[in-house]
Amino acid sequence: MAKKKFPFRAAVVACNGGCRRTQTPGCEYGCIGCGKCQEACKFGAVHLNEIGVAQVDEEKCIACGKCAKICPQQVIHIHECANYIVVKCSNRNNGKDAGKMCSVSCIGCGICEKTCTAEAVKVQDHLAVIDEAVCLGCGMCAVKCPRHVIIDQRGILTAKY
Amino acid sequence: MYTFFVNGEKKTTEKKQTLLRFLRDELHLTSVKDGCSQGACGACTVIIDGETCKSCVPTTDRLEGRHIITVEGLTEWESGVFTYAYGEAGAVQCGFCIPGMVICTKALLDKNPDPTDEEIKYALRNNYCRCTGYVKIIAAVRLAAKIMREGKIPPPGADDWKIGSRVHRLDVEEKVCGTGKYPDDYYPEGMCYGTALRSRYPRARVLSIDTSAAEKVPGVVAVLTAKDIPGQNKIGHIKHDQYTLIPIDGLTHYLGDAIALVAAEDMETAEKAKKLIKVEYEVLPAVHNIKEAAAPDAPKVFDEEASNIQAHKYVSRGNAKEAIRKSAHVITRHFETPWTEHAFLEPECAVACVEEDGFVKIISTDQSAYCTMNECSMVLGTDNVRCENALVGGGFGGKEDMTVQHHAALIAYLTGRPVKVRLTRAESILIHPKRHHFEMDFTMGCDENGKIMGVKAKVLSDTGAFASLGGPVLERACTHAAGPYAYENFEIEGISYYTNNPPAGAFRGFGVTQTCFATETLLNMMADEVGISPWEIRWRNAIRPGGVLPNGQIVDESTGLAETLEAVREEYDRAVREGKPVGIACAMKNAGVGVGIPDWGRVRLLVEEDGKLHIYSGASCIGQGLGTVLVQIVVTNTDLKREDIVYERSNTWNAPDSGTTSGSRQTLVTGEACRRACEKLMEVRSRGKTLAEMAGMEFQGEYLAKTDPLGADVPNPVSHVAYGYATQMCVLDPKTGKIEKIIAAHDVGKAINPLSCEGQIEGGVVMSMGYALRERYPIDENLKPTEKYGALGLFRSHEIPEIKAIVVDKPGLNVACGAIGIGEITSIPTAPAIADAYFRLDGKRRTSLPLEGTPYGRKGE
Repeated sequence: MAKKKFPFRAAVVACNGGCRRTQTPGCEYGCIGCGKCQEACKFGAVHLNEIGVAQVDEEKCIACGKCAKICPQQVIHIHECANYIVVKCSNRNNGKDAGKMCSVSCIGCGICEKTCTAEAVKVQDHLAVIDEAVCLGCGMCAVKCPRHVIIDQRGILTAKY
Repeated sequence: MYTFFVNGEKKTTEKKQTLLRFLRDELHLTSVKDGCSQGACGACTVIIDGETCKSCVPTTDRLEGRHIITVEGLTEWESGVFTYAYGEAGAVQCGFCIPGMVICTKALLDKNPDPTDEEIKYALRNNYCRCTGYVKIIAAVRLAAKIMREGKIPPPGADDWKIGSRVHRLDVEEKVCGTGKYPDDYYPEGMCYGTALRSRYPRARVLSIDTSAAEKVPGVVAVLTAKDIPGQNKIGHIKHDQYTLIPIDGLTHYLGDAIALVAAEDMETAEKAKKLIKVEYEVLPAVHNIKEAAAPDAPKVFDEEASNIQAHKYVSRGNAKEAIRKSAHVITRHFETPWTEHAFLEPECAVACVEEDGFVKIISTDQSAYCTMNECSMVLGTDNVRCENALVGGGFGGKEDMTVQHHAALIAYLTGRPVKVRLTRAESILIHPKRHHFEMDFTMGCDENGKIMGVKAKVLSDTGAFASLGGPVLERACTHAAGPYAYENFEIEGISYYTNNPPAGAFRGFGVTQTCFATETLLNMMADEVGISPWEIRWRNAIRPGGVLPNGQIVDESTGLAETLEAVREEYDRAVREGKPVGIACAMKNAGVGVGIPDWGRVRLLVEEDGKLHIYSGASCIGQGLGTVLVQIVVTNTDLKREDIVYERSNTWNAPDSGTTSGSRQTLVTGEACRRACEKLMEVRSRGKTLAEMAGMEFQGEYLAKTDPLGADVPNPVSHVAYGYATQMCVLDPKTGKIEKIIAAHDVGKAINPLSCEGQIEGGVVMSMGYALRERYPIDENLKPTEKYGALGLFRSHEIPEIKAIVVDKPGLNVACGAIGIGEITSIPTAPAIADAYFRLDGKRRTSLPLEGTPYGRKGE
């Protein structure tokens, strides 16, 4: 296995896959379950989960970025593992459309932005974005998010995914 | 019904509330500190199922089956290791962040028994500390890991408790284990909660107040307005212009002015009732800044003042104008420095009750129990008031004024009920006086060799909604603007304006942090103009023993500026040789309030029935470690051992008034009083008496730090009894543009406890890295500051560079065993040193703070 250097980084899939259960075609922004990321990963760190959405195993991931590069939907990006509070959605549609598409989509309501003490969360194009350099890891946004879009990857403050 | 486990015990609750409130209010696990309830500070950090978590975030309904660990749940071995490691490393100052840090330490070491420094910094990085600069906390974690691996706690590195010994502070255990009490940790029987309704507008006339609906809410104990105040409404640290409650027909001065007080059985009820108070206002145009305040037709902030000028100072010696005219090199620049929030970890809190003898007792977090007593007495119109300091979770000047104490006293006095009044973090950010925003115009003249010929300046400050210490801050800004250099021609005028901004007052450095940035930056520019190094220009101008400062004071043998310059010289030269951007600045700061104000230190040593010597002094330890300093002075000046001595927290009934913890004065002024009391004690001891035989005896020591008033008609006035001197330098990594290293050399006279001294230096440097690079206190057009603690831009543990603290131990004064205060000067030269380093990096001379165009700014700013 390739050597990892602290602070550890890993890929994160910014999609909960909410639409894949209910709708075809699914969300234009979300993971389409094509599996290219899984094929591209030499380390077995990415797989499609039980609902067919890409999921990263941070223990195995070395943040090489191959999956992010190959993803046709661009829902994968690299982040620092110490920032366990992440946004699991990439939908940039307005709140109404995003809301219809998926039960766990970001509707850009801005509660996260308002609640964030560090001003680390900003809604850009109807989508919450966390500036990890500023985030204090409290998870207040995750706890307050009415759509369960922002999660604690440790599974303490919210479900893991 | 929600069920989860706390420290191994099963707990059930029906109430949905944050875990923090449940742990504190229901279980009284008060190691879990409420520093912000916003998810920012980390003082409430607990472990949930092995992961650190700020307990103000999750609510009880989300914790089903979870296992929660607080500091109270540590094993005896763990608390022993952490107490030792934090003590040995000198990681504890005010202590308010410490339980959270300890929890982070445990969570890290449980998973990673041999962490790297980088991993330690990451484990602590979501928790703020405002005192230590993190350096010694990181060292404590490193040490704790080592001890955990080795399985044995070694003896402490120093234990003789004499002056100069790096002993563990005496309050380490109570702060690490969370057993020490801050006011918020008191829950007296029958306690109600008080809160204030604040003004809706920064400047408005209150036309009517209707409290009837609020009074009818079940659970409301009382609703009080200005008409209920038995004594005087207006109080203040010096000038009495701070309203306890704004009366009908009165003018509001800022958004933090209190209109009414609500006391209720619980906070929810108090908040609910507060919303039902109806206040009619006549909204008036507000004064936003210095320019508006100084305008000829400006609205007046105070009805009772002739203008918006709060203070005017003028200092002049020699003939600055003429000297500058004749100078070979002259530079003139405009400088600005920002508002700064103290951001101490513990928000203001007071608990008050009426005791059996009818006295109102206030348990308070403040910088002087006597000030609290005196100001509360004024409000209540009675002398039957006493005050006691609980632990103080940081002050830095921000806890000198009344914020909650007078309100708590009033509620207790009028209702007879014990009451807790505590500011929310948003209130704290709004209400206590900040560091003044300054606008400064400086001109410096030098001869062809870089000798300063004269300095002429005008400085303006925004003191906001009430005077607080605006006058003295302005005065200190002016007196110290000349810098620690020997020259004769100096002239400065300062004006401080009232505005409808939040108030500004004392803040570590007391005005000098502002003017030093201007003087030192000019000196760095001058060095380039003259063609010598910034180090050399300081060496040529440095004040040396026997020299005369621009204020006329002849400095004594203890003066160690040159030694601090020498202490950094090698590293400075090396950085220059290696082509690294390096910046330098010097500073001086008084110890003791000086300028003719009676400055008394008092200590009472009492041998009690337990056969121990108890130290009583009405001097607040706000986290700097005064108790440890006094015990080391007693051990050094008597034949007693550490175990014979008990340090008592400041109070107003058996500890004599020893002045405010301000002006870096306690070590010197109270320290000398303590030494004098020791002399008296030794007269008795030398007759062969044991402590047991001396039970009931007491020894008082008093010391007056005598100085001359500003402008005294003497050739060489003594402005201050002592000055500390410092040189700090900043080295940048030319590749990243980030700070690689800060070296801070401080002349402290005799260091009573070098470990604590280093802690002060590191903490002061990191605090001023924030001031220099990133901290902000944005105030919007409605004169409302930010409410968010996490957005203030304070530095975090993983962002700090290497900080090398050099304690220059130069024997000097014959008071306080040669010790000079260190509290403030640590944060004074940092900003100009950093600014100069950035100039060396990119050639841009920056004359306002925070510095623009560094990697530390926020994206988009």
